[in-house]
Parts: sequence; C-alpha cells; structure tokens
Amino acid sequence: MAKQERKGETEESNRMWASASFVGVLIIIGLPLWWKTTEVYRVSLPFDKISSFDTLPHAITTELSVLANDDATATEIIGLIEHAFKDSDVIKLKISKSIISKQLQSTLEFVADEAEAVEEVGVTFDLTQHNSFYVVQRKPLFQDTWLAGDRVLFFRDAKAATTVVETLKRVVYQTAVLEGAKSETADVARQTRFPPGAGYHIVLSVVHPNPEALDVELDAGEAVEDYIGSFVDELSVLHNFTLKSQWLHLLDFDFQAKEVKDTSEWGRHFSVRTERLHLLLTRLEERAATHVSELPTLNLALYAVRCQAAPLIIYDLNDKKVSSPVQAFMSPKWGGVVLGSPSAGDCRHERAIWRPNVRLIMGTFISQLRKLLGITDAEHITGAHLEPLRSVTPRQWEIDNLLRIRTLEQLTSAERTLQSLAQLLGEISNIVINDDVGASINSAVDSIQRASELMQKGDLVEAYKMSQSAFLAAETAFMEPSLLALLYFPDDQKYAIYIPLFLPIMFPVVLSLKNLLLWFRGKPIHKEKTD
Amino acid sequence: MESIRKLIYYSILITIFQYVYCDDFKEEIFLKPLPPTHLYGYFQFVTLVDSETSSFHSHLAPRSLTEVISRFQVEELHLTLTEGQWRHHQWGYPVLDAAPGAELYAWFSPDVADVDTQWKKLTSTLSGLFCASLNFIDNFNTVTPQMALWPMGAVKSGQNVTSQLRYASLPREIVCTENLTPWKKLLPCESSRGFSSLLNSRMIHNTNYHSIGVHVRKICKSNDCSETQLEIKQTVALVYDYDIINSNDWSFRKLFGQGLPGACPLSSESKIYIDITSNDTHAYTLTPPPDNIIVSQRGGSDTRLAVYNIKADGQMINIGAKHNSKPDLPVSIPPPLHFNRYILGYGKEFGGIVTELTNNCWTSINVVVLENAPWWLPLQLSSLRVNGQAESSLVLSQYYSPGRSRQKPYHLELLIKLPPRSTTTVTIDFEFVFLKWQEYPPDANHGFYVGSALISANLPTARNYTSLPIAGTTFDSVVNASKQWYPIVFRTNGAMVSLPTPDFSMPYNVICLACTVVALAFGPLHNICTKELVLKPLGTPVSLTQKLFNLFKKKRD
Repeated sequence: MAKQERKGETEESNRMWASASFVGVLIIIGLPLWWKTTEVYRVSLPFDKISSFDTLPHAITTELSVLANDDATATEIIGLIEHAFKDSDVIKLKISKSIISKQLQSTLEFVADEAEAVEEVGVTFDLTQHNSFYVVQRKPLFQDTWLAGDRVLFFRDAKAATTVVETLKRVVYQTAVLEGAKSETADVARQTRFPPGAGYHIVLSVVHPNPEALDVELDAGEAVEDYIGSFVDELSVLHNFTLKSQWLHLLDFDFQAKEVKDTSEWGRHFSVRTERLHLLLTRLEERAATHVSELPTLNLALYAVRCQAAPLIIYDLNDKKVSSPVQAFMSPKWGGVVLGSPSAGDCRHERAIWRPNVRLIMGTFISQLRKLLGITDAEHITGAHLEPLRSVTPRQWEIDNLLRIRTLEQLTSAERTLQSLAQLLGEISNIVINDDVGASINSAVDSIQRASELMQKGDLVEAYKMSQSAFLAAETAFMEPSLLALLYFPDDQKYAIYIPLFLPIMFPVVLSLKNLLLWFRGKPIHKEKTD
Repeated sequence: MESIRKLIYYSILITIFQYVYCDDFKEEIFLKPLPPTHLYGYFQFVTLVDSETSSFHSHLAPRSLTEVISRFQVEELHLTLTEGQWRHHQWGYPVLDAAPGAELYAWFSPDVADVDTQWKKLTSTLSGLFCASLNFIDNFNTVTPQMALWPMGAVKSGQNVTSQLRYASLPREIVCTENLTPWKKLLPCESSRGFSSLLNSRMIHNTNYHSIGVHVRKICKSNDCSETQLEIKQTVALVYDYDIINSNDWSFRKLFGQGLPGACPLSSESKIYIDITSNDTHAYTLTPPPDNIIVSQRGGSDTRLAVYNIKADGQMINIGAKHNSKPDLPVSIPPPLHFNRYILGYGKEFGGIVTELTNNCWTSINVVVLENAPWWLPLQLSSLRVNGQAESSLVLSQYYSPGRSRQKPYHLELLIKLPPRSTTTVTIDFEFVFLKWQEYPPDANHGFYVGSALISANLPTARNYTSLPIAGTTFDSVVNASKQWYPIVFRTNGAMVSLPTPDFSMPYNVICLACTVVALAFGPLHNICTKELVLKPLGTPVSLTQKLFNLFKKKRD
C-alpha cells in the first residue's frame, strides 16, 4: 500500500514537473520572447521635456532706449511704457533711459528735416542693431510722434506719451500679431502669410494669352531681379530666396467680363467680379509648374489682358469698382496676380505692343509679397505720423518684428508638433520611431530650449535661427514616412492570427497554474476522496 | 529685290526677337509612308535657349525642365516613353529609335562627383514630372555603357564622358495619356495651337507604335563653339496601320481626328515634310499640293520631300494622300542592317538570349551590341558564343561587368565586325534565379520583361536612314547631308522570360494549417502529461459544481 502511495507520489511529482515545464516554456520563455520579437521599435524620447514646453517662457526680450531732453520726461514716458507692456507675455522690454547731450539736442532742434534728424541720431547711436529701438525726443515736431524706416521714433514732449505707447504697441511691436503667432487659432495675418520655412522660391509668371495679336515688351527676368531682388535681399536674414520667371503663353481664361460704357479713352471697360478670379488660380496652377521646386513657391502672375477685353477692372461683391491704379488680387498662402491691360493707344497700332509699367506692377507685387511674407500693414493712430514707404526696402523695425513673429511662430509650431507626436505615440502603439526620427526629435527639443534661452537674453537673430532649426527638425520628424511603416497592420488582424494559436494552448497551461502552485506549497491537490 | 528686302527685314526682326528673349521655337512634322500598310509620323518641337540664362528665367523653354536640368547638372538627357515595337526589317529606320517601355539616359556635368545619387534624384524628379514610374530606376537596373552611347551634343574635348553617363530602361512601363498630358505642358503652345494640337490622345494611342520623347543636349552656337545653346527637343513618333484607319488614303483628319489649325504663333518655323519617294511605286497625290519639293541625295539614296510651310493664321489645313491605283504586291527590301532577338531554353533552370544581326551591305559594318540583363538573369560570360564559336575573330573588343544580386545588372558590350552579306548570331546563356517573395511584381505569372539590347552602328549607306545629322536641329539639315558614316543607335525587341514563380497563397495556408495542427495536438499532449485518470467511487459526496451540473441535466430531461 505504501509502495503504491509512493509510486503515486512520484507520478504526481512527474506530472507536476511536466506541467511546470509547459509553464516554463510557454509563459516564462515564450511570452517574453513573443513580446520582444513583436515589439515596435522606438527610441526613448524626452517626453518629460516635451510635456514641460508649456512652462517655458515665450516672451522675447527686446531693448528700448528712451532719449529725452530732461529726466522728468524720460521717467514719465518710461513709466507709461512699462505699464502698458507689463502684462504682455510675448514681449519683455528692457528699457534704458538716457538724457540727450546738449550738442545732439541742439542739432535735433536745428535740422528741419526728420530724415536728417534720424541721421544725426544714427551718428551717436547704433541704429543697425537688430532688436533695438530708440524713442527720441525732438521738440520741433508737428505731430505727437514721427516714425520712419529706421529704428527711431521721435516724440515731441511728455504730453505725447500716450501716442508713443500706442505707436509702440500697435505699430512697432504689433503685440496683437505676435499673440496671433503663438495662439492656437490663426489670425488674419497668419492666414495670409506663408508657413515658416528655410527658404522660398519666388516665381513670376507672365501670362500671355494672345501672342499672335499682342506683343508684350517686358524682360521678366530683369524685372524680378531688380525689384523683387532688392526687396528680398533685405529679408535675407530670415530666409533664402530664389528668384525665377517664366512665360505662360496661350493660357486663356474666360473672365466672364461685362462691358461697361464709360468716358475713358476706350469708351468702355470690362468688369470682372471678384468671385470669378479664384478660378484663374486653378488655370495657372495647371501650367505654372510650381511643384518642381524643392521649397515652397510664392507665385506672382502678371496676366496680359488681350486688347479686345481691355481694360479689365475688378468689381467687388457689392458691384463697386475697386479703385486702384493696378488691378490686382492676392490669394493667401499662394501668391498674387496683377491683371495688366494695354492702353487704348497700345492697341491702336497695327501690331499691338504693350509695354507694362514695370515700376507700378512690381510695386504691387512687392506690397503683396510683404503680406505673404508676414509684414502686416500698420494701422493709423491719431497724432502719430508714419512715413510712407519710398523704396522697395522694408522698414528696419518691420524686419525686427518679422523676426519676432517668425521666432514665436516657429517655436510654438515646433512645440505643438512634438506634443501632438507625443500624444499620437501614446494613442497609436504601432508607430515606429527609428534612430533618425529620434535624433531629429531630440535636436528639436534641444533647439526649442536653446531658442527660449536666447529669446530671454534678447539675442533675436540667433533665437530665430534656433527656432527655425527646431521647426524644421520637428517637421521632418513628424512627416517622416517611416513612422507609418507598421500602421497598415491593425490590431484586430493581429488578434485574428494570435487567438486561434494561443487560446487553445494557453488555456490548459494557465488553468494548470493553480494546481502547480498548490503542489509547490506542499498542499494536497486532490481533496481526499476516500472515506 | 523685294523678296531680299523682305528677307533682311524678317531676319532683323528675328534677331531682335532673339536678342530680347534669346530663345527660339520650331515645330516640324515628318511623314513617311511605309509601304504597303503603314505610315510613319514624326513630330519634333525644338526649343533653343542660351545655356547661361535658361535655368531660372525662361521664355519659351519649359521652366520645369530647365530647372531640373540645372539643379542636377545634367549635360544631356534622353527620355523616351514607348508603346509597341519598331519593326526595323519591315519599316526601315526611325528618326530616333526608342526601347519599348521607358528609357532614360543622361550625361552629368564633370563637376558632379557622386553621379549615382544625382541619377537617383533625377529619376525621381522626372518620374513626378512625367507621371511615369521612373522612380523604379535604381542602381540594380542602371548601367554605364562604355562603347554603345556617345553624347549627341557639344562636349568639351578631353572630357571623360563615359563615367558621367547612366542608362536605364523599364520595359514593363505602360505609356498612356497620363504621360502625354505633362509632356504637352512643356510646349510653349501647349496643345491649344500649332502642331501639338494634333496630338489627340484618343487617336495617337490607336496606333501600332507610339513613342514620346524629350531630348535635351547642348549644341554649339557658332562654328568655333565658344558658346553653347541648350536644345530641348520633344518628339512624338507614331506608326499608323492602314487597317486601323480603314483606308489606304490617309489625311490629317483620319490620322488625328481633326485638321491642323495653323502653326503655333510662337514658332519661328513650322514645316511639314512628307517623304514622297515611295510615290514612284505606290502612286498617290497629295492634297493640297505642297509648297515645294526638295530632292535630297544622301549617301547614295535619293529622297524626295514635299514641304509645307504652315502659317499661324488659324486656318484649318487637312493634308491628305489619295492613292491613284490599287496597291501592287509589295516587294520589301530589307534595310542594310537588321536584327532579331529571342530567348532560348525550356524549363525553369537554364536559358539563353540570342541576338541575330544581319548585314545586307556590300561592306562590313562595325557594331557595338550592349546586352543589359537584370540581376535575376545572370549571364554567364563563359557561355558567350558568336556564330557558335567561343573565340571568334569577329569580336574586336569586349566589356563585361558581372551583376551582383539586388545591386547591379549584368552588362555585356561587344564590338563586332559584321562581315558583308551575312548573319551573325550572338548567344549567351543564363540561369534562372529564385526571387524573394516580396520581389515578385504583381501578376508574376505574366512573365518578366528583359530590356532591349542597344546596337550602335556606323552605317556606310543612308538607305532607309531618316535621322538628322548630328549637328542638325531641324529637318532641312537632312537635305544632301552626305557623310562618310551614318551613326545610329538601335534598340532590339524586348523579350520575356518566366521565372520560377511560387504559389503565393501557400505561406498563408501553411500558417493556418500549422496553427490548427499545433492547437489540436497540444491539448491531448498537455492532458496526457499533466493529468491523471482517477477512478471515481460511487456514492461520494457531490461537489457544488457537480450539483449545478446535475440540475441542468435533469431539467433537460
């Protein structure tokens, strides 16, 4: 009997060891192996840094020097400015105060012309420094404040303080646009300007629908190099620009224009409704070959209207003539179009020749380019005078502000891209992060932090460059096709393969665990069923 | 006198025009009946631009193409997209021969150090530009021909051109409307005016053979070649079958579905040339009558060309030919050099490629044969036989570059001296290779395409020769252009092999079956190993679960 019991026990232990080896092979070795081999490859990412982006400071430190004739005026002005910019979370002013030297003071009062006065200020102070601005008192001024292309704002006296603050806030620093650059919803300026990028191609397309009846005398390449070239040269600190031009012949567009009689030389003009115009862009896109360039393309198109349909005038939605010397329209984030009509005299020749007014047309293109590249037109403030632009070059403080806008925009865009990538990684387990993507995410995170530090320090150009590299790195990481390598294999299909294989095998193994545990603890497995 | 004054006036006008824009556009059509049953139509649109200014500012040249050329520093580029097979022995020679499918070769500037990367970028860009699968060109199907291809354009003397050359063909590519539309967009008149308005995709794809091409090269501006110009030539070659157009009498309306609505207003020259040499044997009359007839004597053969000067006045022109009598029985005279290529062998282990070259001339011809086999068709050089002999005196020079699996194709070039009035057979054997299951193309049982071989020859006679002389841009350069040699590059017909192809659903079936068997076998195995059969004595106290079970059992009863 004892022998039989002992035999039973050895059999029992054999069975238990067998059961344990099944568990060992399938659960202890098999499961981790399966887990390891089917794991999605992911480089470890700095999630804590990405989630802490919201706490990073985003204000740009900028220098402002107030130069007044006496200390009291300076203090009053500074007090008001500090108060106005106290709550701003985009701009942090570092205001320095100084009293104008007697000599400069007398010169400033002596010179009649404001431009000369600016030059005089430029002799003593460095006006070419990015991210700096001078508020200078100048007694003989007809308005409260006077602002031109350089980084100088003249004001008359302490009474003009509120105008100074308004001008700084709404024209020079444009805090509303800066706020818009980092807000979640795009404001009008951001809806118009191109998304940030390392460089742009600017293509002027001369659309010539009727080459057999009309000659257009225009050297498109030269016009682009001369006018647009000198404009974008000033913006070379922001982006690289490549200028190109092309002719699109025989691209005819039906404007569905209506003839209107008038008193001009022609005795008529043709009216085209604004809602018809965007269809022209579709026709242009077909031929303009914008997709060949490796960088985003800003399109400028000059449409040479045929003599039979000239002059063509744009009517707005209320059926009113758009009063402008140049008939033009702009498409946000695409480019601008100028509709050029030959004059009656041009068409009267046997062979009609149109010599476009290059200055006027290119000026229109530049004003469109300003908006497309992010320079917003300043609003008018009562008592403040803003010198109108005389040449193609943008104003110095506009470039500074553009740098600020782009820095903030790129920084917030990079942060959002990384945050949404982090969120996606949490939600979709199939996304692969290979070493390249990991490296560009890490470099983006580093650049964001560096840019934020540089913004604190007030080094605007470096901060811009850093934010741009952050933006580009974040975009490359997010757009990398390797992220989606495994995405086509959905989870439910995976389980359709695993379940038939694993369920019949794992069921008995898992159930045997209970007996195995009891046996290991030395407890009887079977309740004694003998009486 | 009046005409001379007019000529001077026009030439001044043209020079002014060229001075302002520095570019020039010409369009031409060349039609040649191929008796008895075919008609060859060849369109060429030539844009000449100054090399220096072309890349960023374009007037008549397509900016998309010039930009690609300058970005990748391409010196010369030839791209053809072809459907169908040119039958050399029957149709004679085309102006420019093209391999079936897509074919691309380019010379890069000597400044390009890493040609392979640049080539990859170029093919990807062109693939987007022409909506063709040129992006499938990779190192494993690219060769660098050593002898067969030479630049057509101006090259600095003493420059190593061979190392900057890359050649690839995709014989499987199917050419259709989606390639023609982007091709037309490169023309200054697009398809709205001029000769390109005849290229109606409904009609031109209804042909025996059609081929569209873009050829970019640098040509000398003056005799001393101190300045170069960029020549962008866009070509279309069509071969119509009289059976398809349902009559021997052809006209533009029958061939293209419409008449010609005048010339392109931007072209400085719009001419139609019709080869009427065959009028002697197959008499027909042209309506309207041609503006003039040129007789050209070139390399011992006389050609008569009817020329039409087309003006950009928007008047519809419908040129046609009406045969005067029923056609006689044709006597086909084969061209001086023709060839044939086919696959040998049976089973799925070994095979061979045979290229037969026939020289009908009274003198020997030197040809370069380039065999370009993909890596999955390993050519064995040891099995190379010329006329059945391993060591043949006909082979003057030989270049062989063995392929590497998934990296490099097999590339064999032979310089052969073809004896007069003879047929030379070049045979080479290959082995079939098993591919990985992902490397099979869709519909693998359709077979695998082997690209055409290139045959580069200097013909001693201009019989059946229609190509332009190397310095020529337009068709008028053909007239009386006798030379010592007539260089031409032919493409043989492609071939198809069927590689050992597995049953692709098999792995899935195996997985399913194996899973089921494992699952079924595991349960009993596990039970036997871990369970014990115990006799259950009667009258034992019943457990709770047993009680529940019994309850159900009773209810069912």
